[in-house]
Amino acid sequence: MTASQPATRTLVLGIDTGGTYTDGVLLDYHTREVIASCKSLTTRHDYAEGIGRVIEGIQIDNPAEVKMVSISTTLATNAIAEGKGARVALILIGYDKELAEAFQLHQRFGTTQYAFFAGGHTLFGEEKEPLDLQGILDYVHRVKDSVDALAVSAYFSPMNPEHELRAFEAISRICDLPIVLGHQLSTKLGSVERATTAALNASLLGMLRDFVIAVRRAMEARHIHAPLMVVRGDGTLMSEEFAARTPVETIHSGPAASAMGGRFLSRVDTALVVDVGGTTTDIALIEDGRVRVSEEGATVGNYKTCVQAANILSIALGGDSHIHIGRDQKWTIGPARVVPLAYLAHQHPAVKRRIAPLLQKGWGQIDLDQLEFWFLQREPPPGMLEKGSREAEVVALLREGPMCVTDIVRRLKLLHAGQIGAAELWRQEIIGRAGLTPTDFMHLDGIYRAWDAEMSEIAAALFCRNLGLDVKTFRDLLWQRVDEIITEVILSFLTGKKLAAPDPLHDVDMGRWFFHNSLQAAHPHLETTIRLKVPIIGIGAPAKIFLERVADIFHTELILPPYYWVANAVGAVAGSVMVSEEALVYARLSEDQSEVVGYYVQTSEGRTYYESLEEALGYARQRVRTLAWEGAVRAGAHSPQVTLEEVEDGLDTYRIRARAMGTPRLA
Amino acid sequence: MVELERIDTQKAYNLIKEKIITLQLKPGAPIDEDALCAETGLTPTAVREALKWLAHDHLVDITPRHGIRVAEANPAELRELFEMRLPLETLCARMAAERATADDIVVMDALVREYERVKGAGNVDTLLDLDHRFHGALADAAHNRYMRETLERFFGLSERLWYLASPQIDWVLRALDRHAELVQAIKARDAERAADLMHQHVLDFQALVERALGLV
Repeated sequence: MTASQPATRTLVLGIDTGGTYTDGVLLDYHTREVIASCKSLTTRHDYAEGIGRVIEGIQIDNPAEVKMVSISTTLATNAIAEGKGARVALILIGYDKELAEAFQLHQRFGTTQYAFFAGGHTLFGEEKEPLDLQGILDYVHRVKDSVDALAVSAYFSPMNPEHELRAFEAISRICDLPIVLGHQLSTKLGSVERATTAALNASLLGMLRDFVIAVRRAMEARHIHAPLMVVRGDGTLMSEEFAARTPVETIHSGPAASAMGGRFLSRVDTALVVDVGGTTTDIALIEDGRVRVSEEGATVGNYKTCVQAANILSIALGGDSHIHIGRDQKWTIGPARVVPLAYLAHQHPAVKRRIAPLLQKGWGQIDLDQLEFWFLQREPPPGMLEKGSREAEVVALLREGPMCVTDIVRRLKLLHAGQIGAAELWRQEIIGRAGLTPTDFMHLDGIYRAWDAEMSEIAAALFCRNLGLDVKTFRDLLWQRVDEIITEVILSFLTGKKLAAPDPLHDVDMGRWFFHNSLQAAHPHLETTIRLKVPIIGIGAPAKIFLERVADIFHTELILPPYYWVANAVGAVAGSVMVSEEALVYARLSEDQSEVVGYYVQTSEGRTYYESLEEALGYARQRVRTLAWEGAVRAGAHSPQVTLEEVEDGLDTYRIRARAMGTPRLA
Repeated sequence: MVELERIDTQKAYNLIKEKIITLQLKPGAPIDEDALCAETGLTPTAVREALKWLAHDHLVDITPRHGIRVAEANPAELRELFEMRLPLETLCARMAAERATADDIVVMDALVREYERVKGAGNVDTLLDLDHRFHGALADAAHNRYMRETLERFFGLSERLWYLASPQIDWVLRALDRHAELVQAIKARDAERAADLMHQHVLDFQALVERALGLV
């Protein structure tokens, strides 16, 4: 055996489920070398399917060498944004009903099924009013057959979770629904955010559990017997069991993993990470090796949660954004994502034969619907389509192969594309769309040539002919537009400010002028430049073409680490295993509430009482430290390091948080 | 770690238990493991493990000589079962009357109120589920782990008896009507009365089953 072939390697398998693709990499953990990679389309109707294909398809010589599998998933984020979570009834104890209604807080609860009950505690952990257990049980009896899970949040439960715990005990004796308690998810005091987080967590429980089980089965089928980890929204890892209990923590795990992957491969600890995917471009900041998290919990859709997640900005611009003519007859890019024509022609050569003859037709305008193809992605589930319906007709047509919109309209004897009505088929990903994309222009430039470049050339020529531009000119305009969009979004991300909308009639806005002059100097005497003080790490296949000029604009370095096109999947295994534990220390008042007579320490284990603040704080620090360390070891961390963080919430209340982090134990 | 085997075993356990309780698998009938695997789509390991759990519940007999069979429900078996259930349930009611917390009583009360609400609809499965939960809540209220565990193991057998006695809705209703009185006695901390009521409740059930099976 030669020295270059060590007897034992430590291999880890990282998987990222993005909006377009599910990527998998087999990585040598210590040399950070990618041994194999595999890409498959993300299957939104069942994420586990695409992941199963990656696990099945990736080349693994000896499954016994794989010591860990880790996954980042957009499952939770998308389910919340699309309202696809399970049905949840939310039980609110001690919340002020009038106040909630006055401020329309119910819209933020994450479920439409909720009810208010007497109970809850005060800021000093004293019972505010007796718990209306009877009311709660009657409510559960009424709703139990129409929901899939229950969430319980009591007023100031982080101070004293007694009412949540009593409700849990009683409810679990009258029904078998899963029950999520607010105080177990967050010790933060915001009662609305806690209720929202509990409700969302409950709505995702079943989904994440099924997901974890499906991934496990796929691993089993390939004889991979290794721990399974899931990436959190802050880029750290949690055990599969923990993830199945707290699915809300996976919010934003995809972008967080990408950022961690960029750092891991480039070995740079502070940088702006820009991940250019197929559907979106995500921006995150890493500082001292950690992804910067948003101070006040993650927001998904309309819901504000108390989940610690990466501070990211995401825009609908990626390699597979659709380049098309908008309603105003101007060309535009995105926000829809389509399959690149180069890829479609690579899979179905007939597509090229359909449009190639159009080039011979001289210089007249062509119907650009001929550049948009629809194709059957999967067979509709039985019973979904009514026989003879328009949708069934479309599916029947597409069974012949991909077809351009013009031909579909003709075959269905319609007048225009708007009449086809296939929105539900797209939404459920029964059919997909292909069109002209930046990826096609990358094929044209020879930057990326995985698929049929000739198809891209033909499509680009036809598209540009309609605009009256030659392909080279248009291509420059396209990349310039991309530069502008990404530059603007980086500036927004770092400053929290927006560019004012253009006012062509009365253009006096200096902000816009600065912005444009910095991109392309137009003023004869004034030069403006933007300088980013940290490097940009580019991730994702289109990163090179999308970001090279952006880095120039920002006068900084663009780092494209080795394997940058799969860094998102590398990121799934790059994080540390983390477990956090929190304690609240707060004053105990005398009977008449006139003076402080001692301090309570509330940990996940329960409440203890101390006479002095020092004693209480001392105990809290020592206890959370131990609990976090033990938890991290159990979760698979190798000699975890514990850091303590203390926040004074005012009113003599202290929140102590221990984070135990360690690299995964790869035995 | 999420154990796939355990998940599958649990699934197999639930499926087979349901078949035994609802008499799709007859008392004393031999159990064909291969057929169960084919029917449930689960692995032989999961099915075999589930059968072991069911043996622990006394719903399945595993003997070297006769292989695997559904537990018998002959007069001798019934006598043995009721000889234990009668004193245990009576003791349980007595302990519950002495020890039930306010929350325990709220739970039992809620189950009785739910019974009042749904009894008109006459769904036997719903009523049997409520009966099971009520006896479970009562066992919890006794605050004795061993009592809870022991009674839980009898529930499967008792549920099967309901099906054997081919439940007629008025029988079930008559039995469940007793629960309200029982809760009243527990609220009043009247251990004697609670014990008496439970004693009669179990005797009534036994008589019902014996009559239905033509044993008397």
